[in-house]
Amino acid sequence: MPVLLKIRQNFRLRTARGLFLCVLCAALMGALTAGASGPVHAMAEEEIILQSNADGSVTADLFAMDTYMSLKAYGKNAKEALRAGAEEIRRLDRLLSTGREDSEISVLNKDGAAVLSEDVFGLFGRALEIGEETGGIFNVTIYPVMKLWGFPEKDYRVPSEEELSAALALADPGSVETDQNTRRVQFLKEGMAADLGGIAKGYTGARVTEIFREHGVDSGLVSLGGNVQALGTKPGGKKWKVAIQDPEGGTDYLGVLEVADEAVITSGAYERYFEENGVRYHHIIDPADGYPADSGVVSSTIVSSDGTLADALSTSLYIMGTEKAEEFWRECGGTFDYVLEAEDGTLYVTEGIADRFESTRKRVTVRKDG
Amino acid sequence: MKKKDLLLLAGLLLAAGLAALILMAGRRGEAGAVTVRVDGQVVGIWSLAEDREEDIDTEYGHNHLSIRQGAAYMTEADCPDGYCMQQKKITGIGETIVCLPHRLVAEGVAAEGQTADEDGIDAVTG
Repeated sequence: MPVLLKIRQNFRLRTARGLFLCVLCAALMGALTAGASGPVHAMAEEEIILQSNADGSVTADLFAMDTYMSLKAYGKNAKEALRAGAEEIRRLDRLLSTGREDSEISVLNKDGAAVLSEDVFGLFGRALEIGEETGGIFNVTIYPVMKLWGFPEKDYRVPSEEELSAALALADPGSVETDQNTRRVQFLKEGMAADLGGIAKGYTGARVTEIFREHGVDSGLVSLGGNVQALGTKPGGKKWKVAIQDPEGGTDYLGVLEVADEAVITSGAYERYFEENGVRYHHIIDPADGYPADSGVVSSTIVSSDGTLADALSTSLYIMGTEKAEEFWRECGGTFDYVLEAEDGTLYVTEGIADRFESTRKRVTVRKDG
Repeated sequence: MKKKDLLLLAGLLLAAGLAALILMAGRRGEAGAVTVRVDGQVVGIWSLAEDREEDIDTEYGHNHLSIRQGAAYMTEADCPDGYCMQQKKITGIGETIVCLPHRLVAEGVAAEGQTADEDGIDAVTG
């Protein structure tokens, strides 16, 4: 068994050969344990269907992380790349989903402390980091407040002031203790809970394109429930065209972005909300008061080569509003760009993407030097 | 008719022709057909050129797709949220309507023989 052990230790081998060996081993293990019920069977059930298209691309539909995902890859290894990408999505879903009782995040939330795997610990650390950078607006511990509103279970209600202030006291990333050496995370207050949902899809998109690249694919597009991550350009060298949905619905888009090797991630109140007594309550909660954000922004799109960052900031800038967002963008010095739509319909577009964002709407270019 | 009038007419015709060309160019991303997939498996491909009503019944449930005046949209669904019936009508290549509970995706595609469009939209964020 020493060979197997070695492969297990180097599970994240970067070469296609390594992956192939891993898959082979998994298949062998699967064959050996055939007949026994459990995860092996569950995985076989989730076999993905690949579709070869006239333009040379291979695509796949996937339903995971409570959303619809579509993967597309070009090149001779496209099929293997898609299968490996889909497997990575399922693996991360099993680790990160608050909807699964046995996910690492659920175990942490139940026990108040847990030793996390490398991926989850790394992502948790990143979430805390971005939380600090945004002055607490991105809050990985907001989950008790989200639960109070019923968003995770889709069992909506408006909480009382008392309930909210109690839950807000638990939404305190300063009361999270992390240990780099043991990868242990511990909550210091009883009842705290975390949710990586605010960055999980961005991170997953980035991981999938990384896996595509490891398989020798240099052109692909991944959309995880409207969170888009592009790998390279289209095969001919042209940039990918990503349209931003109009929060009002209708037949038009806010505009079209041209991107290469970047993530494009949009947040808006329209994605999830409920109504009570004629008032609309949406799912982007401002950690300052525990109520749905009301900053005057109706749609927030981030463009960045860092998918994880783009995901976190799309909600953060929605909460900030156009003025704070502008300040924050200047401070961050070129790590991302944005398109924000204000209530009056005006689009605020940062200069890094201004010349590759096409739109017929009223727009203002946001510049570094004001 | 004077020569100048003829020139003017020719000029106007040319301008109109150019305008028409530009307008046509702007419509190149238009989908010629819609495909419907359930769990990634294609269950139907229908042209958008003719009006049509399609029932899609699978193990997950019932949907009804309507194709009217070049646009495809969901008009019936017995899923709990009915969100698919509120989604934007499909007219362009790459546009989708998703019924998550029924694992169903309708997508605008190029019709058979329609040249693949280089300048169409590749994805929608939101």
